[in-house]
Amino acid sequence: MSKTEEPAEDAEPEATEPVGAVDYDALEALLGDAVVRRESHLNAEAFVVRADRVQDALSTLKVEAGFDHLSNVSAQEYHDRFESIYHLKKYDDPTQEVSVVVPTPRDDPVSQSAEPVFRTADWHEREAYDLVGIDYDEHPDLRRILLPETWQGHPLGRDYNQDKPQIVEFEENVNPLADDHRESDTMLVNIGPHHPATHGVLHLETVLDGETVLDVEPDIGYLHRCEEQMAQSGTYRHQIMPYPDRWDYGSAGILNEWAYARVAEDLNDIEVPEYAQVVRTMSAELCRIAAHLLALGTFCLDIYGDFTAIFMYAMRDREVVQNILEELTGQRMMFNYLRLGGVVWDLPESREEFFEMVREFLAELPSRVDEYHDLITENELFQLRTVGTGVLDAETAKQYGVTGPVARASGIDYDLRRDDPYGYYEHLDWDVITDDGGDNYSRLLVRMREVEQSARIIQQCVDLLEEWPEDEREIQANVPRTLNPEPDAEVYRAVEGAKGELGIYIRSDGTDKPARFKIRSPCFSNLQALPEMARGEYVPDLVATLGSLDIILGEVDR
Amino acid sequence: MATTPVSIAEWLGYATAPLWLQIVLAAVVSGVVVTVMLTTSALAGPWAKRKITAMFTDRIAINRNGPAGIFTIAADAVRLMSKELIIPDGADRPAFDIAPAVLPLSALLGFAVIPMGSGLQLADPEIGLVYVFAVSSIASVGMVVGGYASGNKYSLLGSMRSVAESIAYEIPLVITAASVVLLAGTLRLSDIVAAQQGTLVSLGPIAIPAWYGFLNPFALALFLVASLAEVGRNPFDIGEAPTEIVGGYITEYSSIYFVLFFLGEFLHIFLSAAVLTTLFLGGPAGPGPAWLGIVWFGVKIWAVFLFTQWCRAAVPRVRIDQMLEIGWKGLLVLSFANLVLTAIIVGVIA
Repeated sequence: MSKTEEPAEDAEPEATEPVGAVDYDALEALLGDAVVRRESHLNAEAFVVRADRVQDALSTLKVEAGFDHLSNVSAQEYHDRFESIYHLKKYDDPTQEVSVVVPTPRDDPVSQSAEPVFRTADWHEREAYDLVGIDYDEHPDLRRILLPETWQGHPLGRDYNQDKPQIVEFEENVNPLADDHRESDTMLVNIGPHHPATHGVLHLETVLDGETVLDVEPDIGYLHRCEEQMAQSGTYRHQIMPYPDRWDYGSAGILNEWAYARVAEDLNDIEVPEYAQVVRTMSAELCRIAAHLLALGTFCLDIYGDFTAIFMYAMRDREVVQNILEELTGQRMMFNYLRLGGVVWDLPESREEFFEMVREFLAELPSRVDEYHDLITENELFQLRTVGTGVLDAETAKQYGVTGPVARASGIDYDLRRDDPYGYYEHLDWDVITDDGGDNYSRLLVRMREVEQSARIIQQCVDLLEEWPEDEREIQANVPRTLNPEPDAEVYRAVEGAKGELGIYIRSDGTDKPARFKIRSPCFSNLQALPEMARGEYVPDLVATLGSLDIILGEVDR
Repeated sequence: MATTPVSIAEWLGYATAPLWLQIVLAAVVSGVVVTVMLTTSALAGPWAKRKITAMFTDRIAINRNGPAGIFTIAADAVRLMSKELIIPDGADRPAFDIAPAVLPLSALLGFAVIPMGSGLQLADPEIGLVYVFAVSSIASVGMVVGGYASGNKYSLLGSMRSVAESIAYEIPLVITAASVVLLAGTLRLSDIVAAQQGTLVSLGPIAIPAWYGFLNPFALALFLVASLAEVGRNPFDIGEAPTEIVGGYITEYSSIYFVLFFLGEFLHIFLSAAVLTTLFLGGPAGPGPAWLGIVWFGVKIWAVFLFTQWCRAAVPRVRIDQMLEIGWKGLLVLSFANLVLTAIIVGVIA
């Protein structure tokens, strides 16, 4: 912290360095006359595509070039145009990236929707419409998503008046299937926003036929806190880092911080010292364990009913992790531990005691996990409830851009820690857990096994840190006090958060604050797949499926 | 065995008590019994539930007011009674107001014929067992009426679930009880208790009593499972299922109406525990003098209560279709098999 006064040599911008093994010239030829020109983003080349050829371009990239993962859609307004950026990746190799930029004029911001090609574009484009004000032609259901239906204006647009208060009127929800009497009469039930099982403030407009779910429509935005806007008004160096803790607040703070650290370090070309990377890796995996234990506990809460044994056991063990994190960071939830270029401080004194604390936890963990398996996964009634319910097959999951444990439980072998390495993960010995079930049971099982893998990672980190020579414990790179990235530098980077791919897109305008800061929330994409999984199931399974998705509304709504 | 009012009348010197005296004595005794039942079961029940669940789940639970938080019972009572009674606009009155009283009433009526030991039994009709099942089924009416009258969709779903559950599990429950009737040869509860007083086998100094639970543990297990469903406890607590349908039929009930439902549920757990004790665990029988009967009886029904709390803490809830499947395809078949087997064995031996 104290030795960051002098400016570091982050001067040379990486303008057109080819990324990965993608042959962009071939792609450009493939796309043909849809491409207007090419741009270079720090993470990938971007093709600027005509607004009426979006579906052509995306489906060509998807079908013929294998870019099957629409990771994110970032929208923004320039002084002369609107722009939607589709960040594409491959599930097989996320280092292969390409972006599709779709500019539209300010007076007529109509762009072709990508929804027919990627189902996940549905919500992403609704968000772009809601916050930025781009109209998507051929979109099946272009409504506001985060803000109330009756909201006036688009808050991230340039001529939006932020000081003008708005009065919002609400209307009673109508049953979308009320006139549909094919089978029998239907009933609309509003599950949430105040409901014991919505894991926050989520509203599910559910249409029931008896107990069977005919249709469910997640209504989000109750916890929208303008996180992107807030990040855009903070400086890179210090003011943004506390916010990520508040996205996925289910103990996953450091994982979120890492998402920002990674993208900002790439943007400003900051090298993180190896020692700091090990500390980051260890603390992030501790967070992952805490987050997965919370997921396990609340999922079981949905299946079991009251605050039962398994929930309290999970809380008990999570408490140990929280104590360790508190020792390390001084905080139990809102850690604010990472800094650009490293971490805020070294391990607590005395180091031996801290290592002892971690080792004790790691030694206890296997017996705890066995206890969980005894109580949950080996329980016949539990299997009766979870096996074969809420099934999400791999193809549908990819359509919805599902990532994280949910994707891995559907047999998608996708983990950014291994596939797009960062931190110290590539030097450590651990496995990516997958399961082919695709049901609620698989998702729980994957999380439980990931806890064990995280413990393996932490074990190795502790060994490394213990051996680390005292004079080489560099926790922080040299980072200038003020960061002014190149004007018009654009970058999209993601890390493996607790819930999946947590990405951030930043466009710089040369000042010390981002011009656009877009968060790609894994929960947002995962939640979008809920209707696919819940249709035709019973109400209890809808609730269980929602629990198994492990959404944190703070991250969905941002 | 004479019922309590009759014994008191005899003790007062009446060979056959006049009607007015019988009514007065019945009223007094039932008043005492109801008060005792309410205070020990329905009030201590929630307190015990909290402490027991806490023990299962690694917590301490209430410990601020009095030793082990025992005075929280009083605080709870005051709190619940002083809360605002909210009646939704869409409620169908007076059905909404009547429903909460039905649950505790049906449970209390059931207790009238239970031999509680120490000579405590209000009435002892010949058809005691049938009577218990009949009055305790009235509870379903309260749930349906309450759920429907609330004008809430969760309440409606909850009451539908409860009725489906009651119907599905009432039959195995009664059929299993019938196998006990075959063994005892009577429906009178005091006679059923009396029939279990012998010794089944003697293992040295330990004499295993001839409780029907020991004689036919299979029937006991069936009855226990069906009872769990009848009172709506895990794994069959789908009528309330807070994480799914918020609170089921009690979603819209607040204040004293909620207390009545709550009380009714606890009384029903204790009633089903009492029936189970009477049919399978020898009623108030136990070592020591006969006047200790009420203590043994209490111990037994609290043991059953403890079991329900254990299930609540550790067993997942099944889905409505799975519950019906277990009831109609599993328990019903098993209970009939049990009945037929018992009939054959009783026929061969007797």
